[in-house]
Amino acid sequence: MLLKMEGISKNYGDVRANRQIDYDLKPGEVHAIVGENGAGKTTLMRILYGMEQPSSGTIRIGGREVRFADPKDAIAHGIGMVHQHFMLFQNFTVAENIVIGKEPGKLRFDRKAAVAQVEALSEKYGIRVDPRARIVDCPLGVQQRVEILKVLYQGAEIIILDEPTGVLTPLEVGELLEAIRTLTKQGKSFILISHKLNEVMSAADRITVLRDGEVTGVLETSRTSIEELSRLMVGRPLAAMDKQPASPKEKVLEVKELSVLGSGSKPAVDSVSLHVRAGEIVGIAGISGNGQSELLQAISGLTKPARGTVALLGTDVTGKSAREFRNAGLAHIPEDRYVWGANKSATVAETGTMGHQRKLGKLGFLQGRTVKARVSEWIKQYAIKAGSPDNETQNLSGGNLQKLIVAREIAQQTAFLIAAEPTRGVDIGAMETIHEQLLRKRDAGGAILLVSSELSEILKLSDRILVMYEGKIVGELQEGEATEEKLSLLMVGGKRNG
Amino acid sequence: MDKWKKLTASLLGPAAAIALGLLAGSIAIVIAGGSIVETYAEMWKGAFGSFYFLTSTLNRATPVILVGLGAAIAFRSGFFNLGAQGQMALGGLAAALTALYVPGPGWLVAVVSMLVGIAAGGLWSAFAGYMDARFRVNLLITTLLLNYIATLFASYMVAYPFKDKTGSAAMAQSQMIDNAIWLPKLFKGMPAHVGLLLALAAMVVLYVYLTRTVSGYEARMMGGNPLFAVYGGVRRTPLMLGVMFASGGLAGLAGAGEVLGSQYRYIDNSFVAADFAWTGIMAALLANAHPIGTAVAAFFLVALQTGGMGVEMNTDVPLEIGDVIQAVLILFITVKFVRGFRRRRKEGDPNGAAV
Repeated sequence: MLLKMEGISKNYGDVRANRQIDYDLKPGEVHAIVGENGAGKTTLMRILYGMEQPSSGTIRIGGREVRFADPKDAIAHGIGMVHQHFMLFQNFTVAENIVIGKEPGKLRFDRKAAVAQVEALSEKYGIRVDPRARIVDCPLGVQQRVEILKVLYQGAEIIILDEPTGVLTPLEVGELLEAIRTLTKQGKSFILISHKLNEVMSAADRITVLRDGEVTGVLETSRTSIEELSRLMVGRPLAAMDKQPASPKEKVLEVKELSVLGSGSKPAVDSVSLHVRAGEIVGIAGISGNGQSELLQAISGLTKPARGTVALLGTDVTGKSAREFRNAGLAHIPEDRYVWGANKSATVAETGTMGHQRKLGKLGFLQGRTVKARVSEWIKQYAIKAGSPDNETQNLSGGNLQKLIVAREIAQQTAFLIAAEPTRGVDIGAMETIHEQLLRKRDAGGAILLVSSELSEILKLSDRILVMYEGKIVGELQEGEATEEKLSLLMVGGKRNG
Repeated sequence: MDKWKKLTASLLGPAAAIALGLLAGSIAIVIAGGSIVETYAEMWKGAFGSFYFLTSTLNRATPVILVGLGAAIAFRSGFFNLGAQGQMALGGLAAALTALYVPGPGWLVAVVSMLVGIAAGGLWSAFAGYMDARFRVNLLITTLLLNYIATLFASYMVAYPFKDKTGSAAMAQSQMIDNAIWLPKLFKGMPAHVGLLLALAAMVVLYVYLTRTVSGYEARMMGGNPLFAVYGGVRRTPLMLGVMFASGGLAGLAGAGEVLGSQYRYIDNSFVAADFAWTGIMAALLANAHPIGTAVAAFFLVALQTGGMGVEMNTDVPLEIGDVIQAVLILFITVKFVRGFRRRRKEGDPNGAAV
């Protein structure tokens, strides 16, 4: 056994993040850890990587007990971690990022040797990169390969991949899985942390499931199924979603010839026309960075478009402020919950009040009790782990904050809802709740524009799918005819029938 | 319960800073050759030692509290107002001129003078807000630089067109206002005047505004995360203009109160010399812009100043001992400030809250 963790427990005050967890890893194996948010995956990995000390339990590597005071110790013992958010210096080259900390050359940094070493490494493990390219110019998939090469350069035998596919395109995901296979053949072992069960099923040899800080199952991939895994993760079988065909009515949102300036010479949104009717969910698929963010900002009053018009329920709101958009019937689940969706230093109740404050005011005074009662209701309905409404927002985990924002925006009860990445980073149980709520809103006659980088989410919820590529709408598919393959092709600029 | 926690939390930092300030003061006292115990005893006496000294401290605290509250509302909303000095000067000048030249019953003229003082300070501050909205000029810079224009303009007004030529002294000051217009003293023969009650009322109003009203909620959210506020339908420009007007208006009221209740005329440079404006801004920073905390901090800082005068009168230690303690406090504020700023820079949000 290469790695053996036994009886690991970790307490934060009263919270028991890890309870008596056993985990092991063989050479050349991919052993995934799955679990909902807050199940204790991250805590376990922080312990293994030396970022946290366990309250009790032992870690053995190659049979010898080890203790890591910090990540440096862990790296010295052959453990490498690729974080969910890459930690690369954007303005430096690939080679410089890989050799950092162990640069070749004595006094002077030997750039040529660095490039040569990276080329050799890339050759040896079959992971292709251009050592001289600057990181800013590399797509995210390449950046991830750089991260993997970096830990290999540091001599890692065990590589922890934390949610590795979150930012990748479907094509890049395929390449990553390929790279994992090549490396395991050469004896490297992987710990794969993920909540995407289909990827775990295709990449892992074994899967450990965590729930509430405990191991609820260790399974051979060949002898399990997604259904069994999700049952172990959530603790109950998932209800099959009951989606009736849509019955769209009048146009609620109508966008005509909308263009938004980008940072460069090309417009970020290029002459986009679309509409969303009452009682339907329109999905926008696309690789992130193809103008979706700018489009959303322009149709929610956060940026002014260069050209074109936006109308909500027949009212022209082009170029108006977000307040006027909201008054005309907009609610908005923003794509970045920390940038737009919350005030980290405010209480949960205060973050939950935004957009409602004028409706909950009486003679200019905020009805504190009504606000708290409402937020408490959401906390119950969406099972938000928030403690009390008086807690600070920054103490919520990402998934719980997301649930709070979804609850807040659905409760606006507007005719139109923008749902941008509504389930990013939330667990399966919460995803189920959020999807259910979106469908219920649709069935009650709401118009929903769904933007998501998860194709499965787009396919599951949308009645109509638009594909965005380089600021333009390059395709429209009906619910029945859309498949992951067709969408993927359109998303990278391929022709519909090509 | 929770409110008390918040208030105590906002006072915990200042308390630690004050303790270290007193420690630094002790070292300075030893260097100056004084006795620590005796000096601090004199300081205490100078600030609170008799009813007269206490009301004198309260009197001096009145404008400082008002300025501090003005700074606090701006900071809590994420806007900077470092222009209290100029706003106070304009408020004082406008109140003095109104009191001198508007006819009517004394109490009415006093009220109108204060309103004019508020308007003068408020508009001057809102002007900086307008320049931010219209031309994107940084408030930090405009409010600061507008100080010079305002104070020099006020100096000119009382040095030339409205100079008091009745007295023999060649001081740059306005004429004395009629004593029917003077704000009544709280206690006969003691310095504190009803302006103090106005300051305390302003404190309560500001507290209620921030914690209970829709607009106060929007202001605080703007201070916490401006993008979140805008996303939620808060309109930045009207909010900013309103907040800046209130902030400057409180400074203007501080100036008006000082003229109508204490000095009975606008005396050139008297506000600047007493350092009302910067002490008030410091109080707001020290108390994390919590309204009640700001008032407490203002009172404390003023007590250091009046206490320092007592020290100089009765010991060999110079009055600058109060400045030493205050300087250490400023140092702590700066540390907190820079750390907060750097944290926001890391998070990639340089437009974050002021405090």
